[in-house]
Amino acid sequence: MPPTNAKGTDAGPTALAQTGLARPRPLRLSEQATGLLLVLPAVLLLLALTIYPIVYGAWISTFNKHSFFPEQTFVGLGNYTYVLTDPEFWNSVRLGATYAVASIVLQIGLGVAAALVVNETFPGRNIVRSILIFPYVIPTVVAVILWKWLLNSQFGLINYLLEDAGLIDRPISWMGKDWIMVSLVLVSVWQFFPFVVLGVLARLQSIPGELYEAAAIDGANALQRFVHVTLPQLQAVLFIVILFRSIWMFTKFDTPWLMILGGGAETYIRTLPVYTYQRTFAYYEAGIGAAMAVLMFLMLAVATAIYFRLFRHEEAL
Amino acid sequence: MITARAVRGSLPLVLVSAVLLVLFAGFPFVWMISTAFKDSHEIFATPPSLIPRTWTLDNLQRLFAETKALTYLRNSVVVSLSTVAVTIAVATPAAYSLTRFRFPGREQLAGTILFTYMFAPIMIIVPFYVMMRFLGLANTHIGLVLAYTAFCLPFGLWMLRTFFQSIPLDIEQAAMVDGANRLQTVLYIVLPLALPGVIATSIFTFILTWNEYIFARILISADELKTLPVGIADLYNASVVDWGMIMAAGLLVLTPVLGVFFVIQKYMVAGLGAGALKG
Amino acid sequence: MLISRRIARVALALGFASCAGAGLSANALAQDKLVRVWHTETEPQTIKAFNDIARRFEAKNPGVKIEAEGLAWGDLEGKIMASLAAGAPPELSHGQPITCTALQAKGLLNPLDEVVKAIGEANIWDQVKRVCNVDGKQYGLVHAAGTSLLIYRKDMAAKANLKPPKTWADLLANAKALTQDTNNDGKIDIYGITVPGDNLFINIMLGELIKANGGTLFDKANKPQLTDKRMIETLEFWRELVKYAPPGWEGHGYLQTFQNLHGQKAAMMFQGYGRGAGMIEKFAPKEMANDKTFDVWIKPHGPSGSAPAAQVDEEPWMLFKASKNQKEAIEFLKFFYQDDNYLEYVSTVPIHLFPITKSLRNSAKYQNVEMIQRWKGWIEVQQGYLDKDQGKPTLVVDWADMTEKPYLMEVLGSGILRDMVMDVVVEKMEPQRAAEKAQKRLEDLMRSKGYLKG
Repeated sequence: MPPTNAKGTDAGPTALAQTGLARPRPLRLSEQATGLLLVLPAVLLLLALTIYPIVYGAWISTFNKHSFFPEQTFVGLGNYTYVLTDPEFWNSVRLGATYAVASIVLQIGLGVAAALVVNETFPGRNIVRSILIFPYVIPTVVAVILWKWLLNSQFGLINYLLEDAGLIDRPISWMGKDWIMVSLVLVSVWQFFPFVVLGVLARLQSIPGELYEAAAIDGANALQRFVHVTLPQLQAVLFIVILFRSIWMFTKFDTPWLMILGGGAETYIRTLPVYTYQRTFAYYEAGIGAAMAVLMFLMLAVATAIYFRLFRHEEAL
Repeated sequence: MITARAVRGSLPLVLVSAVLLVLFAGFPFVWMISTAFKDSHEIFATPPSLIPRTWTLDNLQRLFAETKALTYLRNSVVVSLSTVAVTIAVATPAAYSLTRFRFPGREQLAGTILFTYMFAPIMIIVPFYVMMRFLGLANTHIGLVLAYTAFCLPFGLWMLRTFFQSIPLDIEQAAMVDGANRLQTVLYIVLPLALPGVIATSIFTFILTWNEYIFARILISADELKTLPVGIADLYNASVVDWGMIMAAGLLVLTPVLGVFFVIQKYMVAGLGAGALKG
Repeated sequence: MLISRRIARVALALGFASCAGAGLSANALAQDKLVRVWHTETEPQTIKAFNDIARRFEAKNPGVKIEAEGLAWGDLEGKIMASLAAGAPPELSHGQPITCTALQAKGLLNPLDEVVKAIGEANIWDQVKRVCNVDGKQYGLVHAAGTSLLIYRKDMAAKANLKPPKTWADLLANAKALTQDTNNDGKIDIYGITVPGDNLFINIMLGELIKANGGTLFDKANKPQLTDKRMIETLEFWRELVKYAPPGWEGHGYLQTFQNLHGQKAAMMFQGYGRGAGMIEKFAPKEMANDKTFDVWIKPHGPSGSAPAAQVDEEPWMLFKASKNQKEAIEFLKFFYQDDNYLEYVSTVPIHLFPITKSLRNSAKYQNVEMIQRWKGWIEVQQGYLDKDQGKPTLVVDWADMTEKPYLMEVLGSGILRDMVMDVVVEKMEPQRAAEKAQKRLEDLMRSKGYLKG
C-alpha cells in the first residue's frame, strides 16, 4: 500500500511498482557494481552474524563438547541419534507444537476479530486501537511477570475475581501442571494478538467499499459479506502473518523460560527451545544443544515447505 | 483513505466487543499501576484492592535507590537506538539496491532473507557467543548491538524493500530526465517518499530490540551493562520477590514507550500495511 | 528530504559514541588492581552493605579496586563456567559447595588458608570448615551459613494442641490438623504445609529427607541407591505430605512458598529459611509479624532414621587460580570477616546470614541486633543443627561426599531426582516403579560421564 503522501495517485503506477523492476533497463557495468556495492554491507553482516553461526552450530553438532571448555571429541551423528531417541526431546517437540498451534489459532482469531471491531467507526475508536496495541510494545519479561502476578494462585486478582463471581470454588493453580500451558498460551496471545490486529487492520482499510456495497445489493448479510468479501481479501496478509507467527511461536524461548523462572511446573511447558537451552547451559552439552537446534530448523523448513505447497499466494511474496 | 465496513453489524455489538477487548488488553496495566503504588502489606491482602487504600511512592523510591533500574533503562535505550541506526544505515541502501538494480545473485539474496527468518536466536546463541568471546566482544554493548543487528537485519531489509517497491519508478525516471543524477534523485525524491517506511522499520526494530531477552542474557554479564529485560528478570529472580518494586520497574519500562506511543502508532499501522510482518 | 539521511547519520554516530563510551569506562579501571567479586546475595540492602565494605577497603588500600556483583544462583554457575573457559575468571566468587569441590577437583582453585588463619581457625564453626576442605586445605570459605527451617504457625498449633513433630508420622498428623476451613464455608482456607516444586529445592529437600531417614543417595562405588527401602519410604512420605499442600504446589517456586506462609495460605513451611523472617515483617499483617505467630520446629526424622537433617545454605568463597590479583583478594576477604564489617554484612538479612565466626556470633553487638532479638528461636535452631552436625550442603549426605562425589552438580542439573519425586507425588506412579525408572536413568548418566563403572 503506497504511503499516503506519495506524489502522484495510487491508481496507475501502483501496479507497475508492485512488480519491482518492470522495465528492462540497459545493463551498465557501473550500475551493476553500484547495486552490488549497496548491498555489500548488508550481505557481509548477514554472512558474519547469521550464516557463520549457523554453519558453526551445525559443525559443533557433530562433536561432544562441553559448553564452556574447549575440549571436544568428534562423534559424527552420535548426538543426533541420542537426541532422536531421547523421550524428553519428543516430549518437548510435542509441547512446543501444542504451544505454537494454540497460540497462533487464538492470536489470529482474536486479532482478526479485534481488527474488524476497530475498523468500524465509533467514538473513541482511536483510543481503543491504541490500547489494543499496548501489549505488543512491552518486553516479554514484563508481560510474563505481570501475568504471573495476576495469575498467582493464592494472591492473584484473577482467582479472586473468579471465586468472587462464583465461577470456581477453589483457586486455580495457574502455574501448576494442569494449567500452566493455558497460562503460557494466554500470555502469548495477549502479547502478540495486537500484531495481527495491525496487519489485518491495514489490509481491511484498503478493501474497496464498492465490493461490500455490491455484495449487500446482492442480498448478502454481514456474515456472508465477511466470508465472501473480507476473507479472500485477507488471504495474502493472513498467509504471511500465519507463516511468521508460526516460526516465531515454535522457536519462542523467552516466554516459556520466564514463566518457569521463579516457580512454575517446568516439565509441563518445557518446549523444544527451552529444552535446547537447558541442554546447552544447564547440562553444558553444547554438541547436543547444537544438534537439537539443527533438528529444530529442519522441522521448520519441512513445515514451511509444506505450508507453501498448500497455501502459497503469489501476491504475498 | 477508503474504509471498508467489513461487518456492518450492529453498533451495540461492536461497542461491547470493543469494551471487552480493551479490558483484555488494557486491564493488566491498570493492575500493574495499582500494585506499583501499594504499600507492601497491602499487596498480599485478601481480598485484593483495585485502588490502593494507601498510595505510596515507596516502591518507586526503592526501585531507584536500591537497584540499577535507571542504568538498565539507559542501556536499553543506547543499545536499541544503536541497533536501529546500524540496521537502517545498512538496510536502506541494500533494500534500494534490491529494488532498483539488477546484479547477479539478486533473487537469491531476496530468498536468503526469507531463509534467515527461520533461524531463531535460540539456534545460534551458542555459536554466536563463542564468536563474540573470540572477538573479545562478549559482555560489551557493541557485541550486543551486532547480535541485534543480525537478528533485525532480515526483517528491516524485507520491510524496506517492500516500501521501496511501492515507490513508483516513474518519479525517479522523471527526475533523471529533468537532469538530476541518481544520488540527487535518491536524496531529494525517493527518501522523502520512503521516510514513513524508514520510520516504521525503525520503530519495529526498536521494539524488537527493546524487548529482547535471550541475547542480552547470554552476552551481557556485568550488572552495569544489562538491559531492562534482563535487569527486570533478575530483580524478579532475586531472593525476595518485591512485587511492588517489580511492578514499579514495569512502569519504568512502559512510560517512555507510552510517551511516544501515540505518535508512533500511525507509523506502525502504515508499516504493517506494506505487507511486511514479523513478531 | 536530507533529514532522514541526516538523522540516520547522527543516530549512528551517537550510537557508536555511546558504545565506545561504555567500553572506555570499563577500561579506565585497568589502572588500579582490580579484584572482581561475584556473590549471590541479591537483596538490595545486602548489595549496598557489601559495596560499603568494599569502598572502605579501597580507602584503606589505595590502588586496589573492588568490583562486586550480586547475581542470582541460577546465573552464577553459567557465568563462572563462561569466565573459566575464557581464561578470565573473577578473583573471588560464591558457589554451591558441590561446585566448589568440582572446580577444585579440576585444579581451578587456590586455597584460602591464609584467610582462615587471620580469622582464627578455632573461631570458625567446625561444620563450616568441612565445606570444600580437601587434603587439609580450605578451598572454599563459607560466607554465611543459614540452615533450612521448618516454620510453623505457633498460634494455630497452640490452639490445636500440637506437639513438635519427632517423626514423619507426627509431621503428617500435624499437617492434617492444621489444614482448616476457618470460616465454615466448606472450603479449605489454610493448608497444613507448603512445599516448593522447582528442581533445585526438590533436590535440596530430597537430600535432607534421605539423610533424615538414615539412607544415602549413592554408595561408595557411586551406584545410585534409589530403589533402596529408605528411598521408597521417603517417596511415600512425600506423597502423603502433599495431600496437605495447596493444590498446584508443583508450580510453586521457593519464593511462592514464603508468600503462602506469610499470606496465610499455609500453616507450615517445610523448606523455610531465615530470610522468611524478613519477609514476614515486610508482608504479613503487622500484628502477626513476630515469633509468637511464626516459630520454628526442629525437623523430624523418618521411620528408618534417628536424627533430624537440614540443608545448609552456605556458599563458600572460592579463589580462582587463573585470576590476576589474588593477593589483594585475600586481603579483602580478611577485611570482610573482621567483626565490624562482617556484622554490617550479616545484619542485612540477620536471621538468614548466620555468621561463620564464633566471635561475631557471641558478641554483644550481634546479639543486640534488633531483628535477632525478635527472632531468637530461629537462630537457636540453626545453631543447634550446626553444632550437632545435622546440617549439610545440598545433596551432600555425608561429609565424605564432598570430596568423593564430584558429580553431584551434574546430578542436580539433570533433574532426574526431581522427575522421580514428581512421578510419585504428582503423577501418582508407584514409588517402586518411579524409583526404578530414575535408577536406570541415573546409572546411565553416571556411566556416560565415567563415574560409574560396569
